[in-house]
Amino acid sequence: MLEIRELTRRFGEHTAVDRVSFEVPSGLMTGFVGGNGAGKTTTMRMVMGVLGIDEGEVLWRDQPITRLDRRSFGYMPEERGLYPKQPILDQLVYVAQLKGMGRVEARTRVQELLERFGLGERGKDHLEKLSLGNQQRVQIIASVLPKPAALVLDEPFSGLDPVAVDSMVDLLREHTRDGVPVLFSSHQLDLVERLCDRLVVLAHGRRVAAGTVTELRDAGVPRFRLVLGGDAGWVRDQRGLDVLDLDGATALVEVREDGAEQHLVAEATRRGDVHEFVRVRPALSEIYREATA
Amino acid sequence: MSTHDDRERAWLLVTRREVVSRITDKSFLFGTAFMVLLIAGFIGFTAWQEDRSEDATLAATPEAVAMATAIKDGAAQVDEDLDVTVLEVADREAAETALTGDEADAWLHEVDGVWQLTSESSTQDSLTAVAEAVVRQQVLADNAAGVGTTVEALEAGSTVSTDFLRGDAEKAAVADAVGFVFVFLFYFAALVFGMQLASSVIEEKQSRIVEIIAAAIPLRHLLAGKVLGNTALAVIQLLVYLVVGLIGLTFTPYKSFVPALSGPTAWFIGFFLAGFVALACLWAVAGSLASRTEDLQSTSTPLTMLMLVMFFGGLSLDGRGQVIASFVPPVSAVVMPKRILAGGVEWWEPLVALGLLAVFAAITVWVGERLYRRALLQTGGRVSLRQAWSAAE
Repeated sequence: MLEIRELTRRFGEHTAVDRVSFEVPSGLMTGFVGGNGAGKTTTMRMVMGVLGIDEGEVLWRDQPITRLDRRSFGYMPEERGLYPKQPILDQLVYVAQLKGMGRVEARTRVQELLERFGLGERGKDHLEKLSLGNQQRVQIIASVLPKPAALVLDEPFSGLDPVAVDSMVDLLREHTRDGVPVLFSSHQLDLVERLCDRLVVLAHGRRVAAGTVTELRDAGVPRFRLVLGGDAGWVRDQRGLDVLDLDGATALVEVREDGAEQHLVAEATRRGDVHEFVRVRPALSEIYREATA
Repeated sequence: MSTHDDRERAWLLVTRREVVSRITDKSFLFGTAFMVLLIAGFIGFTAWQEDRSEDATLAATPEAVAMATAIKDGAAQVDEDLDVTVLEVADREAAETALTGDEADAWLHEVDGVWQLTSESSTQDSLTAVAEAVVRQQVLADNAAGVGTTVEALEAGSTVSTDFLRGDAEKAAVADAVGFVFVFLFYFAALVFGMQLASSVIEEKQSRIVEIIAAAIPLRHLLAGKVLGNTALAVIQLLVYLVVGLIGLTFTPYKSFVPALSGPTAWFIGFFLAGFVALACLWAVAGSLASRTEDLQSTSTPLTMLMLVMFFGGLSLDGRGQVIASFVPPVSAVVMPKRILAGGVEWWEPLVALGLLAVFAAITVWVGERLYRRALLQTGGRVSLRQAWSAAE
């Protein structure tokens, strides 16, 4: 497990990351969301030791993280691109060697991954000769070399077509199956919702929400929608409830006092037909918007 | 998989990548080949120029043939590259015909007791010089005989032997020329490889591969690998140029100087090495301060100025200024080899200069490493030296 504790980073007067704490559990995908300038990239760079930490610490397997630990991590920086004018096979082997792999071993592994991403024939091509999508694939390969102990990926899906997204997801799932913790940032909330086991929301350098998607959706004040046979105007007079929306026979309420929803249902059945009574969980995008507002 | 040993050789991996990616680069290979051709061509041209002897035909009427023959025989002593042929003509008219018909280059004749050399329209510098010298000697001899003495007696004690001076002057000229080549090669290599190093630093910074590398190995290793790789390339290229140059020289009349040049050349390589390492670190800093290739122009300005100072200082300094500069790094990298070439340097002087240069290199490596490490991971615009120095990591 990768644990981030009270991480803080200042640039002059500006506090880019302010006492941010969260966990990236082994074998789970943790999505890192937040607007531009929320501090996601700064946090990831601190985790990877690329940027100094002003306060706080990063723990890996319950110990303060070391350089060698970080070397075993796969990392994809935000703005990417390897060496534009070097053959992709050569530079991937180079990256693998920097991470401690032997030359022969590195070649085999790189070739294997290139083939998997449909680039087996293009090892001798310069990176700049490849399409953007393929360059992105090469970047992905670079981040999973050698077999990473953890993955820290900054916007790994940006610029990928749906097919590439799928093969990227497959690759990430393979790693989580082996117990590798994965932290990735993204602007694409639908993707995050689909992929992530856990979510960390950052706004203005602070952690504003964290947990599983279900936890987050359940975390707010419970909301219920009630659809009646007749007019729902009487709901306004019920105690312990805030009416958010009222439209003819339909009412949307927020529960202020525990059990108030039970009284509401009882009252509704007493008054006539109840067509629908349902708990309303906000969409991830709503939570995100509220949290980062 | 992650052992301590692996990390130890990280700089070696970087060095190898620098060398291999450059050596397989076509523009680098073509550039080097072009320079080799240029050097070989220049030396070849010089040799041809030196070897070329001039032929001159001197027309003379029968009464002047004796003097013309004296000129022909005496020519070799005055100008070894001039071959004089005597063409005997019947009279003035025949001589003029020979001149206009390009059969002769000049006509030697006596007018009112004064020897005159008439040519068609162009002056015959070499021939005139030879004729003047020989005629003067001849006439002096005749006149001396007329008053019962000899030229030797007249000139006794009046001449200064010029043999030694002449040889030394030639040596000085060669030292000057080779000195220029040393200064130029240093300037050229430091600029070309320095720029290359700086732009490869920017390339890594701009593409953010530096973050992947920084997460894997200490940045110190990255810098060391880049500096060493480029130094190795620069030295290899320099050796190629020097070897081509020295071998080329053996085919010219200057071949006798080659053994004498080997010592200074070896010193030059030593100074080049220390000087280049010192500057390479500064170039890496210039690269790390920029965020985009476009910024390099401004972040490298102080360095390009320094290069120019070294270039012109190396060429123009003499006397006391040269002696002082030959100990001041990094200018000493070019000035001291020049002094060694010219001769008259005490044995300890190059050692002290090289020692000072090495200390300077060590300081720039230390300062450069700190600046590079801190500036490299700062993104967004140019980083000032002050920011880089005081930045937190």
